[in-house]
Amino acid sequence: MAANKLKHHCLKCKFFNNEPELVEQTFPGLTALSSAYASVRADAGICSRHELFLAPWAQCRDFQVKQ
Amino acid sequence: MDSKDKKSSTDYCETEICVEEAPAAPTPMGWKELYLKEDWWAIYLGIGLMLVTLIAFLLGSNVIKVLVINPGGVKWTSFGQLLGHFKQNIHLYLLQLLVWLVIFGVSTKIMGIKLSQFLPSFIVLYILSVIMFSISGWANAARYNLEPPLVALILGLILANIVPLPKWLDSGFRVEYYIKTGIVLLGATFPLTLIATAGPIALLQATIISVTTCLVIYFAATKLFGLDKRLAAVIGVGGSVCGVSASMAIASSVKAKKEDLYTSVTLVVVWALVMIIVLPFISKLLNLAPGVAGAWIGTSEFADAAGFAAASAYGKMAGNESAAIQGFTLMKVIGRDMWIGIWSFVFAMIACLKWEKEECGVRPSAMEIWWRFPKFVIGFFLATFLMTTVTAGYATAAFNSSVKPNLIAPLVSFRSWIFIFCFLSIGLSTRFRELKAAGWKPFGAFSIGVAVNVVLGFLLSVFIFGGYWSALGK
Repeated sequence: MAANKLKHHCLKCKFFNNEPELVEQTFPGLTALSSAYASVRADAGICSRHELFLAPWAQCRDFQVKQ
Repeated sequence: MDSKDKKSSTDYCETEICVEEAPAAPTPMGWKELYLKEDWWAIYLGIGLMLVTLIAFLLGSNVIKVLVINPGGVKWTSFGQLLGHFKQNIHLYLLQLLVWLVIFGVSTKIMGIKLSQFLPSFIVLYILSVIMFSISGWANAARYNLEPPLVALILGLILANIVPLPKWLDSGFRVEYYIKTGIVLLGATFPLTLIATAGPIALLQATIISVTTCLVIYFAATKLFGLDKRLAAVIGVGGSVCGVSASMAIASSVKAKKEDLYTSVTLVVVWALVMIIVLPFISKLLNLAPGVAGAWIGTSEFADAAGFAAASAYGKMAGNESAAIQGFTLMKVIGRDMWIGIWSFVFAMIACLKWEKEECGVRPSAMEIWWRFPKFVIGFFLATFLMTTVTAGYATAAFNSSVKPNLIAPLVSFRSWIFIFCFLSIGLSTRFRELKAAGWKPFGAFSIGVAVNVVLGFLLSVFIFGGYWSALGK
């Protein structure tokens, strides 16, 4: 299982969404002084299962493959 | 299910040993970043406009000088005079609008923004910008403090909060994209020697302020108000490094709740708007040198766009916009923005090794410093270096008589247009009714940090390093 353990990150999880348009819609006011198209976001996105804002390389026990 | 079974059925690391074995974080976007992130597009547009202007200058062509027309220099005393200017130059304004639509339309389309929404939105923004420049071109504008950045901001706020503008109009109000492109263009008129001489001082002052303010907000939030440490980190860095952008970076580094980022967005936006209005007028009241005020604003404002609005407004009030912009840029862009990645990495390490050492999914990678690096800063330095190299061969007299009016002035005019797009967009995209309530505890912690930031920034900018900043622009 060690090999599998190393593979899965939020980026491929069905609960994770990091589309910039969605990020900007989710956080009203964000575009007033920032942007989801900025490098600093580094593709961070929203986990709809845990209601977190996290990096695409994060991991979690609830991972499920994005179809 | 016992712990062993649980571990074997998941890909999740649950022990410190597992963390040690975990792979480095995967590259998030790779080369796609080169055309999907606005930081890179800001570089392409900024450097591209600079090169086109440079080629026109070297060929002795007036085409760029004509193209960057704006009514800000008309100094009209009657509407008839202003209308006469537009009647005479309507074809140039239409051509200019077309150029802006093409370069911003194509780039935003590639990034994934709907062109059908961006184009009409940008046309509205352009028309409002023409009105802003027209106001600043009134002969009596300065007497009534009608500085374009402040007027643009206030008009935008009024429109966004009183007139029911459709939400899709936001597609063209790309505050960050415009300010980044403007900063790259600013690099073309920024002396390389200034970065070399004042850069280290800016870095020192900005570091003192950033670390102090972040710690004050963090400990006020956790110790005084008993808030969660992730929320404390998100608002701490938001209030000390780079506003909403820094909050986004830290929130994802420490796996913050969505509500934490909501809170930080609200706090930063509200306080940044207050600062845009207040700082220029306090600076005027205290009769600060423009460079000193720019440095102070650079340490006290959270976001680039808001800070440029405040610094530009005071620079115009004081009659030396260049000095205020230089002080702000040194302090904010060079002293603070560049280090967001390091802050993120440090907080990711703290979160992984201290806050959640039993459940840290992936080992933080030092590459995060690069992934989160605000790439447009590269464009700023590149533009500075290129322009300094090109103009190094000109004697002072030739520089003043030829380079300034035919090369520097058009670049400044391009920048002025892009900055006014930005300042209007701040107001137009700020709808107070849509901001989430922050709660009085986060507000209290953040406000304590703001107070410390403003006072400490003032002391450092005026008394400790005032000698450096007051010399700017002379």
